[in-house]
Amino acid sequence: MDNRLKQDALIEDTLKSQPLAPMPRSLTLDVMARIQKDKRPAILTWNDFALSFVIAACLAAVWFALQNLPPLMLAKLRIQSILLYQDFLVNARWLIPSLLFGLGAILAALTIPMLYQMAVDRRR
Amino acid sequence: MDSEPALIQRAQKGNHEAFAALVDEHQRYVYNLALRVVKDENEALDLTQETFVRAWTALPNFKGQSQFRTWLYRIVTNLCYNRLPNLRRSLNDLGDDVMEDIPAIASTFANPVHEMESNETRKHLHQAVEALEENYRLLITLRYQNELSYEEIASTLNLPLGTVKTGIFRAKEQLRNSLAQLEESWITA
Repeated sequence: MDNRLKQDALIEDTLKSQPLAPMPRSLTLDVMARIQKDKRPAILTWNDFALSFVIAACLAAVWFALQNLPPLMLAKLRIQSILLYQDFLVNARWLIPSLLFGLGAILAALTIPMLYQMAVDRRR
Repeated sequence: MDSEPALIQRAQKGNHEAFAALVDEHQRYVYNLALRVVKDENEALDLTQETFVRAWTALPNFKGQSQFRTWLYRIVTNLCYNRLPNLRRSLNDLGDDVMEDIPAIASTFANPVHEMESNETRKHLHQAVEALEENYRLLITLRYQNELSYEEIASTLNLPLGTVKTGIFRAKEQLRNSLAQLEESWITA
């Protein structure tokens, strides 16, 4: 037992006193050169702006169309949508709950892992 | 001379000088860790450089929840996983059956205390560390050269605490066996 303790002490001491490997050369200049060449990506990229613009334009087009439709066509649209909804209720009772459940599941899959990771990081 | 948090803050805002100071400060430790794992000087230099480039890119997301150095070790370890695909699996496979007591090593020691402390013994142990498997070398380097606590290693490698303790325990056990063999060779010589 005594020997084992001595061994442990020696191993601990050797591991702690093991010198760091010397660097063949400093990498600071190489790293800085690469950093200056590759710009840090912005938080919002051009793709994000383009996508936001397209979505906003679509929403605006729908709103504009609804505002400018003739009242008769608007009424027909409303009737058709009510009929479709009632058709779902009669012939596909589980469609709307299933769709809502699917949507909820997608949202959960997108958010829960991220929240879990944040909670784990905070605990650490 | 700015403190590290101040340097990090300035680097996050895009200050190159501050980041260069951080690279100067930490590159030795990052390089040493990479070298101990991949055992190739050029590859270790590549990994170190890539680590700092990635750190620069991700620096705005660094919230200071961990220490900057452990954050860097996490990046370099992830890069090592890419280079050594079996490393991650071998770490996960360690399990967490930490033994409280160390099994007795079958060897007959004379009185090698003074020899144990000799340079030869240390050299032998250093070689034994180099001969360990890559997962054990990673754990041992993080623990003893980079001076991280078990909890910090667990956080850096995203492993359970028990797995880290088991890994270090087994690595030391292998070193103990190697030491016993050396002592036996002294006795028989």
